[in-house]
Amino acid sequence: MAVGTDLARDLAGIVGDDHVRIDEGALTAYSRDATPLFHARPQAVVLPGSTEEVAAVLRYATAHGIPVVPRGAGSNLCAGTVPLSGGIVLVLTRLDKLLEISSEELLARAQTGVTTATLASAAAAKGLLYAPDPGSHTVSTIGGNVATCAGGLRGLKYGVTRNYVLGLEAVLPTGEIIRTGGRLWKDVAGYDLTRLLTGSEGTLAVITEATVALLPAPAETGTGVAYFDTLADASRAVTAVIAAGVVPATLEFLDRKCIQAVEEFAGLGLRKDAGALLLFGDDGSADNVEDNLARIGNICQANGALEVTLAENVARAEALLAARRCSLPALSRLGSLTILEDATVPRHRMAAMVDRIDRIADQYDLRIATFGHAGDGNLHPTCVLDPDDDEGADRAHLAFAEIFAAAIELDGTITGEHGVGAAKLPYLTDRLGDDQVALLRRIKKAFDPAGILNPGKLGS
Amino acid sequence: MTDHDTVDHTGPCGCSSGSECAGGVCGPAPAAPSLPGRPAGQGRGIFDKELLDRCISCGFCLPACPTYALTGQEPSSPRGRITLMRALEAGDLAPDDPTLAEESSFCLGCRACETVCPAGVEYGQLLEQWRDHQWSGRNRPWIARTLMMLVSRPGLLRLQGLVRRHARGPGEKAGPRPAAPAPSSGEPPQQPVSLMLGCVERGLYPRVSRAVQRLCPEADVPAAQGCCGALHAHNGDSATGGKLARRLGEQLPGTILTTAGGCAAHLAHHLGRDRVRELSQYLDEKGHRPAGQVMVDGRRARAALQDSCHLRNGLGVTRPPRELIAAVADYVELPSAGKCCGAAGTYSMLRPADSKKVLDPKLSEVEAADVDYVVAVNPGCLRQLEQGLRRARSRAKAIHLAEFLALAAQPEPGRPGPAPRADGPKEP
Repeated sequence: MAVGTDLARDLAGIVGDDHVRIDEGALTAYSRDATPLFHARPQAVVLPGSTEEVAAVLRYATAHGIPVVPRGAGSNLCAGTVPLSGGIVLVLTRLDKLLEISSEELLARAQTGVTTATLASAAAAKGLLYAPDPGSHTVSTIGGNVATCAGGLRGLKYGVTRNYVLGLEAVLPTGEIIRTGGRLWKDVAGYDLTRLLTGSEGTLAVITEATVALLPAPAETGTGVAYFDTLADASRAVTAVIAAGVVPATLEFLDRKCIQAVEEFAGLGLRKDAGALLLFGDDGSADNVEDNLARIGNICQANGALEVTLAENVARAEALLAARRCSLPALSRLGSLTILEDATVPRHRMAAMVDRIDRIADQYDLRIATFGHAGDGNLHPTCVLDPDDDEGADRAHLAFAEIFAAAIELDGTITGEHGVGAAKLPYLTDRLGDDQVALLRRIKKAFDPAGILNPGKLGS
Repeated sequence: MTDHDTVDHTGPCGCSSGSECAGGVCGPAPAAPSLPGRPAGQGRGIFDKELLDRCISCGFCLPACPTYALTGQEPSSPRGRITLMRALEAGDLAPDDPTLAEESSFCLGCRACETVCPAGVEYGQLLEQWRDHQWSGRNRPWIARTLMMLVSRPGLLRLQGLVRRHARGPGEKAGPRPAAPAPSSGEPPQQPVSLMLGCVERGLYPRVSRAVQRLCPEADVPAAQGCCGALHAHNGDSATGGKLARRLGEQLPGTILTTAGGCAAHLAHHLGRDRVRELSQYLDEKGHRPAGQVMVDGRRARAALQDSCHLRNGLGVTRPPRELIAAVADYVELPSAGKCCGAAGTYSMLRPADSKKVLDPKLSEVEAADVDYVVAVNPGCLRQLEQGLRRARSRAKAIHLAEFLALAAQPEPGRPGPAPRADGPKEP
């Protein structure tokens, strides 16, 4: 592969021999991320060690018209880092310095490749909280979190990644290094490029550093669980809780199929006769937490809960949280091709949406169980298949198209927190409409005139 | 686009395990013709399909992997390696691909990835199958070949018998002991316990087995016992590894007591967990209260533990060794106590430079923790720590748990020892 060899030589000239891979094995390993059914080999994998090296690689790629796919840990679920058009996979994990945690300014500054958990525990060590907690926080990078605007379990009370990004350092595809925002909570000088880059999925610029807001860490956390006959009951209880002025830090649910899968897998003693399990939790001062949990419990009972349990200690709370944590492992054992989506609807329409999902699953003869974030209507319908079941995968494809359409019909969206990537690009126009999609393309063109950054994704 | 995920374990020869004929009959043969346009569902038969399918590629294993920590590159992560295995199985990579060869060898086989895997991937099993393919026949590193020959040839076994007698302690007679007397407390009679004399202990650390006999006088030490086969399973011959484990299961009656976490995990896999106890596990279950304490310069010693990867990650045993150490010394948890020390079976011999890179941060931790002893529960780790601490000119000493407990029970020279307890171990 003469092209490959030239490419490797040129790239090695920028980042050094040790940080360029063109062997078939490495290209295979970087051909996919955490998304099933999507893979494509790049021509080279490059691991730059500095922002300047990122800029040099991008200038080179723009000059030669070579696609570049920025990648953090590759834990995304939207095929956002699959190099569909080949080219260079730009792995940013070497940029892994935690630059600063400031108790005085309540902020942290980190290079793009620092993992979310590293940042969060460094903040915790100073009595501070980095609130966004995506499920993959032990492996995901801050840069990846910003690029996908990652959510998490605490979305309702604390918001998502975009609510915490104060400033970014990023490299444009043409090689310029820009710094957007900064250390200020108030700053309206210019278009809000920080927010534009947040969730841009590596299609506009390569994020190399982020400054994020921190909060004082809450003193206490508490957890409880409620069972309901139906998800509609649970959904009504959630609405009533929030209407009563309580905004819990955690409000997670499992549907009937999920409860059964988790119980069969982990034997946690969950009620298998229940149609929905609602896990609720709050944090704050000890009195406040106790008070809020009691109120949530009462409201659940008033809305027909079969049973309400409050965790009296940390160990018990952990046991309750295990049910939620076990959801994906339990489902993945039913069929190791696990398609995990995140259609999202307004909170009060959650039960209606799960009902639609169940009907669509029946119609296509698929096993789709749903768990997710009840507080913000962010559902995770999860389809499990045998990996050899190509025909089943085709049916799943059709079913998810209907699920996304149903979400839009219920004033929802095709993705709440996973991102569009390649996986949901076909549904984007349904959600945004032609005019917005055209605008996205013009924005993309302004940032990336040669169209090298993550082609086949947002803005393409 | 599902060809990564559609693999089948049946090779062209119809073999299903792959361990016997991988690389021989059904390994390389189908590679070249089947590369493009290969019918879906056809695999090379190297891997157990069900095991390989389990991985959902979430990447949660990345932070747990010591080799990913060294390179930061996906091919040296568990997820990346499984992607490589799938490409090998599916025919998307040539069987002699250099990255496959390198990564199957670079992996420590510590199985730390298994403990964080939400999908329950049995990575250790996959690695055995991978090495069966990569290290078949002459592709096996010569050091591994030599070691495997040493422990499995009848003539050499006889030679080892001499060493074994040494390990079995002075005055021990060959042949089974009379059954342990029934406990006086009216409990049901216990299963006989047989001490396994691991290959490494026999050669390098016979004192470890002797210490166990002082701690557990009820254990039999059958003279006729072979290798458990972990060495084979981890070095590309899992079929022999299984065979040796089963044979040892026949040679050692009752509960097999071992001082090697690696052997314990391998035997438990083939014989069932009920048959096997690693020393700390065994002492913990029988309610053993260690006697005495380990003193250094007239004060209680400070001691850290190095977990055995397969004991921790394979069998989930972490509490018992810590509690036993804490009973006789001031226990200090090293930040990386649960992470591989780089010994990893034959790894320290096959890849000494990488092995050292894995170990080095731990040596700095030992210095920072200012401990007197680093306690190991596997002879490979013991050897690795001994060499590393010597190289670092550390004042800390590596010691096996059995010796450490025996040392505690021994009065310090020149000082009156603690009063021996009625149930305490007998002194030699």
